[in-house]
Amino acid sequence: MSLIDDLRAVLDHDRVLEEPLELHLFSRDSSLMTGEATCVVFPETTEEVAEVVKVAEAAGVPIVARGAGTGLAAGASPTEGGIVLVTTLLNNIEIDAENRTAWVGAGVINLDLTKEAEPYGLHFAPDPSSQSACTIGGNVANNSGGAHCLAEGATTSHVLALEVVLAGGETLVLGSQAPDQPGLDLKGVIVGSEGTLGVVTRAVVRLLPIETDVRTLLIDFDTLDATTKTVSEVIAAGLVPAAMEIMDQRMMTAVENWLHAGFPTHSAAVLLAEVVGEKEAVEAEAALIERIAIANGAGEVRLAVDEAHRAQLWKGRKSAFGAIAQVSPDYYLHDTVVPRSNLVAAMAEVQAIADSYDLPVYNVLHAGDGNLHPLIAFDASEPGLLDKVHKAGEEMVAACLRYGGALSGEHGIGLEKRDMMRIGFSELDLDAQARLKMVFDPSGIFNPAKVLPEGSRCFDFGGVRREIPDGAWI
Amino acid sequence: MLRLRRGSSRDPRRGLDMSEGTRSGATHLTPVSTDELSGILREASEKSLNVNVVGGGTRQGYGTPVEPDLVVDMGRFADIETWDPDDLTVTLGAGTLVAELESMLSSRSQSAVLSEIPGDSTVGGSIAAGISSLRRARLLGTRERMLEVTLVTGDGRVVRAGGRVVKNVSGFDIPRLVVGSFGSLGVITSVCLKLWSAPRASATVTIDDLETASQVKRPLAVLEENQRRRVFLWGTPEEVEASSTRLGGDYVDGLDWPTDPAGPHRWSLRVPPAQTSEALSRLPGDWRFLAIHGAGEIRASSASAKGAADLREWAEGTGGSLVVVDAPDGSQFDPWGKPPPALELQKKLIAEFDPARVINAGRLPGGL
Repeated sequence: MSLIDDLRAVLDHDRVLEEPLELHLFSRDSSLMTGEATCVVFPETTEEVAEVVKVAEAAGVPIVARGAGTGLAAGASPTEGGIVLVTTLLNNIEIDAENRTAWVGAGVINLDLTKEAEPYGLHFAPDPSSQSACTIGGNVANNSGGAHCLAEGATTSHVLALEVVLAGGETLVLGSQAPDQPGLDLKGVIVGSEGTLGVVTRAVVRLLPIETDVRTLLIDFDTLDATTKTVSEVIAAGLVPAAMEIMDQRMMTAVENWLHAGFPTHSAAVLLAEVVGEKEAVEAEAALIERIAIANGAGEVRLAVDEAHRAQLWKGRKSAFGAIAQVSPDYYLHDTVVPRSNLVAAMAEVQAIADSYDLPVYNVLHAGDGNLHPLIAFDASEPGLLDKVHKAGEEMVAACLRYGGALSGEHGIGLEKRDMMRIGFSELDLDAQARLKMVFDPSGIFNPAKVLPEGSRCFDFGGVRREIPDGAWI
Repeated sequence: MLRLRRGSSRDPRRGLDMSEGTRSGATHLTPVSTDELSGILREASEKSLNVNVVGGGTRQGYGTPVEPDLVVDMGRFADIETWDPDDLTVTLGAGTLVAELESMLSSRSQSAVLSEIPGDSTVGGSIAAGISSLRRARLLGTRERMLEVTLVTGDGRVVRAGGRVVKNVSGFDIPRLVVGSFGSLGVITSVCLKLWSAPRASATVTIDDLETASQVKRPLAVLEENQRRRVFLWGTPEEVEASSTRLGGDYVDGLDWPTDPAGPHRWSLRVPPAQTSEALSRLPGDWRFLAIHGAGEIRASSASAKGAADLREWAEGTGGSLVVVDAPDGSQFDPWGKPPPALELQKKLIAEFDPARVINAGRLPGGL
């Protein structure tokens, strides 16, 4: 029997795709790196996922789990071939309002969960800009953040338990609604593992009360420097607002041309800040942000007048990457983090690198977290340009690392930054990571060739091994 | 060559009894560097010696008792490597006392949000034992402080994971994995923690019934003890004042944290948050307790283990647990209860970090 026949023995015929056009549609995520799927499957239940894993293991072919494919680091591109397992039919939601939690299928769209929780006065805090498309499974895989993870933490802070199909098709629930499950917190290490340890089928997530007292400020500045400096000073003043986002003039203009959200396109940059909480607190905190902004030479400080205005501003911010489509056919977006006190310097260097390559860089930042998203807009059909874009991007990432930063804040390593892992980690560090991977996935079928550079598990630590007692698991 | 020191060379100011919880005759070592610690663990692996790692020695009764051949005192790993108040992060040696760290941070109105009344606890010990703050319903547990960790594995490798930024997805999240690991993945030597700013105002308000607490949207903590229920507030002065008024009740300025219940048997009961009140109603009548509402954690103490088995059975039925935090010598009550899921996977994972299984072997549940 062929792989397709084996899969059709466990899934309905029409939930196993093999036509070239179908395969092509699932050959990449939202990155520029394309793979080649052997077939695409749509399981409806955890049991079916387990059966697919068993088939894949028996056939020795990779499984690449994928939600909506909004990932930007090629984490869901089947670059080693194999089965693309699409989670979108795992889409059940069960709200537990009393515990403020929900059991959520991996294929549930992030925003759908929040909509479902709304009648209970609750919402799911992680809000990636792609939240109207991206899935909870993808959020778990990448430990996704979003504008509002500044105060509330990224996805890992909101995952209490995971149902996961591991090697051998074994299905386990790791973690619990109760805190501090004894033993190692394996659930926590699966969050952010980019589908390399198993397939997450369901998650128990925390839900937070919807904030009713909210102040959303839109503040414009003459320089990007003054904007980032304002953010650093707000944090240094001891305030952690719900969100602090920056857009530069180029990005603002692209958004404004498309959405007409009311961004001040005459300004060099704009800060979108939001504070939530008790009524008395939000007033005082909004006033503090305004004071710091004005001390840094801010122009106009606008306050969202109502919920509709606030929604419009956020829509503008979250549509930033989409807005690039009217500027140029392609874009390359990086996702790095620096310590917040180095934000001003790192931003200046990113700009200088873009200038040196004569490339237009569009900036949109989760500034409160020190999370940069420099975006280079270009036309990939122009000979040699993609190469230049790659070089500039790598320099930008390297610069951020020099400022004490990390390779990725929320988009993940995937394939895109895999080989850059060597810059930030020693051989021993990577070896430890590779050992962890091997324990979960001894046959190497879960999203192979992602996250860890080739040869990570090569470090032979001399001397000790031979001393290990018989029977020890190595 | 490694200098092996016999006997405790710990700073006598701390007055720690190094023999506590250890077999007499165990060798006490106080490594002063990562290299030394690495050498000790390599040697322990070669000779199959069981190693107990001691921070402040405050949690030696927690977990399955183990009889060490070596006791490694982390007291010399107490440097603050970097503290950038403007970044709200700190990188420090694992042997730093929580109290010393908090005292330093408070000079700039910051906190690592670990234990409120830490006693002699160290940062590394609190992390390894998975001890969280009473503020966890609002600011989450200790795992959410973890940004970067450096550890020395059982076979002496120095491994670093994570990074010194507040948001990071680069490789597997080992920094959070070490929380509650009891050293099974390695001895934590240094960590980078995410800090919180302490707002200008705070208050502690005593309330009559828990329903009242819902008058405040997101209190810092709602704590219930045998005789009192209190709401802890922090924020702008205007906010704290308005919230206090909404709550009514007796009001004191500042955060008047309670100590953990003391007694020969000490427990940690964990249930889904909504079942906290039911859990309290199921505690044997003579138990003392401190419940963290909204988090599902109840710290308790008792004179005996009577009634604990029934309580555990109920707690495990909710998906929770009842674990022994401390018990008199010779207590026969199983410290952990039902083994965790994926025991075999946990075993294999630990074997990759501690192949000869020398650090606190057997201390975790399921004989891990």
